[in-house]
Amino acid sequence: MLKKKNAGLLLMIILILITAVSFQYPRREWNKEFAHRLFPKEFPPLNDGLLNSSKGVRYAPDQVLLKFKPSVSSQSVRTALAAYKTEKMKRIPKINVYQVRLPEDVTVEEMIYVMSQNPDIEYAEPNYKASITTNDTYFRHQYALRNTGQEIPVPGSPRGSERADIKATPAWGETKGDPDVLIAVIDTGIDFEHPDIQDKIFSTGRDFVNDDDDATDDEGHGTFVAGIAAASTNNNEGIAGVAWNCKILPIKTMDEDGYGWDYDIAAGIQWAVEKGAHVVNLSLGVAAYSQVLEDAVRYAFENGIVVVASAGNDDDFVYSPAAYDDYCLAVAATDYNDERIYWSNPGPEVDVAAPGVDVISLVPTWYFGPGSIPYGFGDGTSASAPHVAGLAALIKSIKPWLTPGEIMNIIRYSADDVNSADYPGNDDFIGYGRINMEKALVPIKITTSDRR
Amino acid sequence: MKTVCMILVLFVFLAFSPFSFAQSEEEGFVQSMTIKTGIGFDYFTQRVDVFSKDTEGVWEEEDDDSPLKSAFLTLSVEFGLQGGFTFTPIIGYSVSDYDILVYRKLPFSVELDVGRIKGYLVGGELKKRLFSVRDFEIGASGQIMYYAGVKQQWSVPGLNVEGTVEGKPRWLRGTIGPYVVYTGYDYIYPYLGISYTTLWGKFDLDQKILDLTGEEEKKISGKGNLVLSPGVIFELTEALSVKGEASIFPREGGIDFGIVVRVLYSF
Repeated sequence: MLKKKNAGLLLMIILILITAVSFQYPRREWNKEFAHRLFPKEFPPLNDGLLNSSKGVRYAPDQVLLKFKPSVSSQSVRTALAAYKTEKMKRIPKINVYQVRLPEDVTVEEMIYVMSQNPDIEYAEPNYKASITTNDTYFRHQYALRNTGQEIPVPGSPRGSERADIKATPAWGETKGDPDVLIAVIDTGIDFEHPDIQDKIFSTGRDFVNDDDDATDDEGHGTFVAGIAAASTNNNEGIAGVAWNCKILPIKTMDEDGYGWDYDIAAGIQWAVEKGAHVVNLSLGVAAYSQVLEDAVRYAFENGIVVVASAGNDDDFVYSPAAYDDYCLAVAATDYNDERIYWSNPGPEVDVAAPGVDVISLVPTWYFGPGSIPYGFGDGTSASAPHVAGLAALIKSIKPWLTPGEIMNIIRYSADDVNSADYPGNDDFIGYGRINMEKALVPIKITTSDRR
Repeated sequence: MKTVCMILVLFVFLAFSPFSFAQSEEEGFVQSMTIKTGIGFDYFTQRVDVFSKDTEGVWEEEDDDSPLKSAFLTLSVEFGLQGGFTFTPIIGYSVSDYDILVYRKLPFSVELDVGRIKGYLVGGELKKRLFSVRDFEIGASGQIMYYAGVKQQWSVPGLNVEGTVEGKPRWLRGTIGPYVVYTGYDYIYPYLGISYTTLWGKFDLDQKILDLTGEEEKKISGKGNLVLSPGVIFELTEALSVKGEASIFPREGGIDFGIVVRVLYSF
């Protein structure tokens, strides 16, 4: 039927067609060769045998990262991945590294062993779970940011529960904050000489107690609060701040005894708005309703500022200004076991909670006297609020278009309802729950199983 | 690459132009209309660049690209017209998989890894036979396909309140270029096409978590604009034929591919 003179031409066309579908054939052969080695009896243990254990370095139990040699074609890569029954998840094109999901019945160790025998694969290794850690000397004591069940060096040497923390380290992988985002700390001022925050201070601020432009801390509370929110981080010294890169605008409205007047606080809030603050932290409270404070907080909210305030420490009702629910996040206190502490003020205005027991932060350099380290542990919803203020600043850093109300809702809805066994849902003690920075900042994975 | 694409487009433009009509008339070629119905299966995988719109309306390319995989079942009717033209409207059912897309402009950032999304396909193909040289027939063809995914809703897991994201993917793919068919055999017609191809798409997502709402626009664009399409048509009977085609999309850093299998029945 076919003309002889066209046989060569036909052969050429058939070759083109065959090429499109068959250049993976040699790889199939190679895979056959490999099949019998897929499950060898012994494998070198990874991680000292502590697979996915909290004691060792953790890695994804169902994933491997691998890189093929540059000469290997994409088609061969696909064929090889299919032969291993792996599912490609992602690829980093610039370094040509594949992230693959393993079949259910194969361990990471088995797959790495098998892949290491493949001459086309440059390397294969576990997908280790890294988290941002800091080199700050006392970061290991900051259970609030990362709780490993470590001993807390306070009287009684309590140990907390692992992961009873605000998940700061995975969140820092998403953002460490924008240096242009300002957290106004309306308090007793700040110690400008403190080595662990002096680089993070936006300006000398404003002192409404002494009516000048020098918000130097003469009490200690403001320095402690500011340190939690945004101490210098990864500077080989002291502690880590929640908002790693954001800056502090110090505003002194409380005197050397820790007291202040509503008028000065309201004036301080207005000044923060004028100076371009994005978040205001109010670790203070008044056990009375104050229309002035409510007006001031509303003014800040309406001008795009997230206001965070402590609920109070007297097992009483939620104090002003935290009680101004529409314009302010009221923060209760939890401890190193994720339990609400008894003295944290309850009430329907409580929005969220954050660690407020045995929290380490900065104290002014003069506080303990010469030769002492300027750090200390403290309790109170005053310590809880700046954790939330720091989170608000991080959200503002990566999503500057969000309104204060939206940021407040993100913080509320992403919280972990850690007392759900007794009080499911939003309750008077910890509101929506203890804040979770990871859920608030890191993209939430939505898979097929979430289809409605 | 741009020059090659320009040449392909120019070629096809001239092929479909009145000049080529005139040429056919001159040759005295008259063909009565033929109709073939077809059922087919198509699959392609193509890497796409992903763009997000910032708050000022500027589209920013994201660091990572993503493989778009799409499979579809099609029904087609091929009309053979006068002047060597063939027009084929196509409708179909499709599933498309965008791999992983990350949305960071929503109130809660999400990583969408939801696998295949079903949808509908509508498109058409226009072919023009231009001339023959010995046993080779040279022609030009253009195809356009539009996929509209069905609106889907997913829960946002892990929050302490109920929340959803909702989205509807869609893409449009156009292909245009010359082809050559070898007509020297009875019943078997191998061919090779070389075409300029382009793919655009969108996958916007709406988020609603109680009173917290947001919307993010996401645009995709196919990588690589050249496609080589070797294929063959088998005439099984006078009325029944089968077409098989492979598509190879060379692009920077690799090759994407596709296949088409179509069974055609002539009236």
